[in-house]
Amino acid sequence: MTDVDVRLLDGPPRIPALLARAVVTSRGRTGADGALPSHRLVLPGVEQDLARLRDYCEVTGDVLGDTVPATWLPVLTFPLQVQLMADRSFPFPMVGMVHVANTMTLHRPVRAAETLVLSSWAENVRPHRRGSTVDLCGEVRVGDEVVWEGRSTYLARTSSPQEATSVGQGGSDGGAAPEVAGAEAEDRGLPTTEMARWRLPAGLGRRYAAVSGDANPIHLTGLTAKALGFPRAIAHGMWTHARVLAAARSRVPEVATVEVQFVKPVLLPSTVVLRGELQATAAGSRSPTVTGAGCT
Amino acid sequence: MPDQPTPRDAVVVGGNRIPFGRANGAYAAASNQAMLTAALDGLVARFGLAGERMGEVAAGAVLKHSRDFNLTREAVLGSALDPTTPAYDLQQACGTGLETVIQVANKITLGQIEAGIAGGVDSASDAPIAVGEGLRKALLKAGAAKTPLDRVKALAGIRPGDLAPETPRNAEVRTGLSMGEHQARTAKEWGITREAQDELAAASHHNLAAAWDAGFFDDLATGFLRLSRDEGLRPDTSVEKLATLSPVFGKGEGATMTAGNSTPLSDGAATVLLSSREWAQERHLPVLARFVDAEVAAVDYVSGDEGLLMAPAYAVPRLLARQGMSLQDFDHYEIHEAFASTVLATLAAWESEEFARDRLGLDAPLGSIDRSRLNVHGSSLAAGHPFAATGGRIVATLAKLLHEKGPGSRGLVSICAAGGQGVVAILEGC
Repeated sequence: MTDVDVRLLDGPPRIPALLARAVVTSRGRTGADGALPSHRLVLPGVEQDLARLRDYCEVTGDVLGDTVPATWLPVLTFPLQVQLMADRSFPFPMVGMVHVANTMTLHRPVRAAETLVLSSWAENVRPHRRGSTVDLCGEVRVGDEVVWEGRSTYLARTSSPQEATSVGQGGSDGGAAPEVAGAEAEDRGLPTTEMARWRLPAGLGRRYAAVSGDANPIHLTGLTAKALGFPRAIAHGMWTHARVLAAARSRVPEVATVEVQFVKPVLLPSTVVLRGELQATAAGSRSPTVTGAGCT
Repeated sequence: MPDQPTPRDAVVVGGNRIPFGRANGAYAAASNQAMLTAALDGLVARFGLAGERMGEVAAGAVLKHSRDFNLTREAVLGSALDPTTPAYDLQQACGTGLETVIQVANKITLGQIEAGIAGGVDSASDAPIAVGEGLRKALLKAGAAKTPLDRVKALAGIRPGDLAPETPRNAEVRTGLSMGEHQARTAKEWGITREAQDELAAASHHNLAAAWDAGFFDDLATGFLRLSRDEGLRPDTSVEKLATLSPVFGKGEGATMTAGNSTPLSDGAATVLLSSREWAQERHLPVLARFVDAEVAAVDYVSGDEGLLMAPAYAVPRLLARQGMSLQDFDHYEIHEAFASTVLATLAAWESEEFARDRLGLDAPLGSIDRSRLNVHGSSLAAGHPFAATGGRIVATLAKLLHEKGPGSRGLVSICAAGGQGVVAILEGC
């Protein structure tokens, strides 16, 4: 990786200013034909804010521990992603991009007390039936050791009025969750066991925005969500991701790769159901895995 | 009728705590559940208990949010223990931690369980704040109202003064005096000098620092968040430095109690693993000490008949009588340092002919102890005192000390508690 153009940051990017810049410069982006920025943003010396981590744990149904939830690390790399997407060299307008899938690998438990080196870059533009997808990648290191890697797949849609029902703004997800109704789950061979039922309050998006920094208007209020094509405010996709992992925490291995697809938006307020199954792995009954999860 | 179980030994296998933090310090963001889970998971990791179903986990907190009614069970569910491990909360003020040890040990002794975990946690930083009584009653009335009009009436009864929140205070419900003010009276009664208190405090810091330096806590504590040692520990304190502090409890000339010779408000959690000998042997786990016996006493501090924190002075003689032991039969004494003067007043009471005769109904006093055997690795003045966590800290420390001393060595634990109670116990080295 010696030929990578690394740009060192001296502080976390400020998301509101980046959002404003992204809106102003959204026209004239080259689209799928243009090249992605080839540079990598790196932010070293990141001390984790324990009070913020505690708030994050609380809003995602977790408890502050000595090691952090895997989903906390992309919260830290998120501002870097936003800066990449707001950059003039990024080919797609950030406004309107939808977070459709996420993959992350935790290589070892990360302690809340550890000082981190965060990095982010963009790669892998692929055609999609509704436009193009692009991956925003993240990496967390402690010293030279890579402890976490993540890949957020965003859909940049080509204009299609019929499908323009959900419009994301900012670098964030489109707020969709892995949604599968009970009957539908059965049809698709997914687990139907109801593990938990959560009542999501109307202010959930605002609470998660406050701790995650992802203040995409589609999550904040009904009014701002309507302006962007949603009937009501929708939950952050990464909140549903974190909430599901928190529910299974202590039952699933800490060191793991997790793949998530955001299928449909979760409107707020609403009651959602987690369906899934904890299965023993071949190695023994101590490390079960969630084989499927859905929210209705 | 099936055979009654024969009483058998309950032994201390080991312990784990997180370093204790100062209030609003390193653990300001950590809740009781967070700290108890961390201490529990450290114990689970140390003794390879992941996925194991324990007989029970008993723990508690003194300052507890109402939402934490099932605190210990929630901590178990969030830990690596088998989720079918039962748990319950117990609360006996500063005696909580030791009382959980007694509960778990008794169940093991009776053959009801094979192994269990005792412990406690407290956070002075994340203390519960409740709505005032006026507001609470109005809200209850509104909630019970049958018509909207009744509800409005109930809520209209709320006065501005009702909106002030109620924060927990370190004061006795019945006397309105803080624990320090109570203890200041006791210190005066027993003529405990400022110098003696400062000496005890300095020794606590020096002993605890030496124990950390020597690695004594390497297998008794697990670092948590940004803390790897007790935050309130002052290795470089001295009698001279402590002498410069102004008294904070008691008034006027005779006031001797300062922030330096009183325990600070603290955050932390501690756990102890207890089992039958067989259970430990099957797993090739160490057996540090045998739980011998325990006693709990209470005093009438409300009438002023006795000092608030003097109950251990009564509990220990009863326990010694039952075991046919004398106060001098111990290799180690662990007397909880709520205040330096508490330890000194308790020792003075045991040395007093008058106290023995008038209070204990004994012909002779218990006598004095070899002070070089007291709190040899420091105690609450230096480590801090997260109320319910102190018992677990002391039991694990003492069990390891006795194990090092060898089989047959004996240790006495004495812990005073709010409400005029005292919890004491005897351990024997294995």
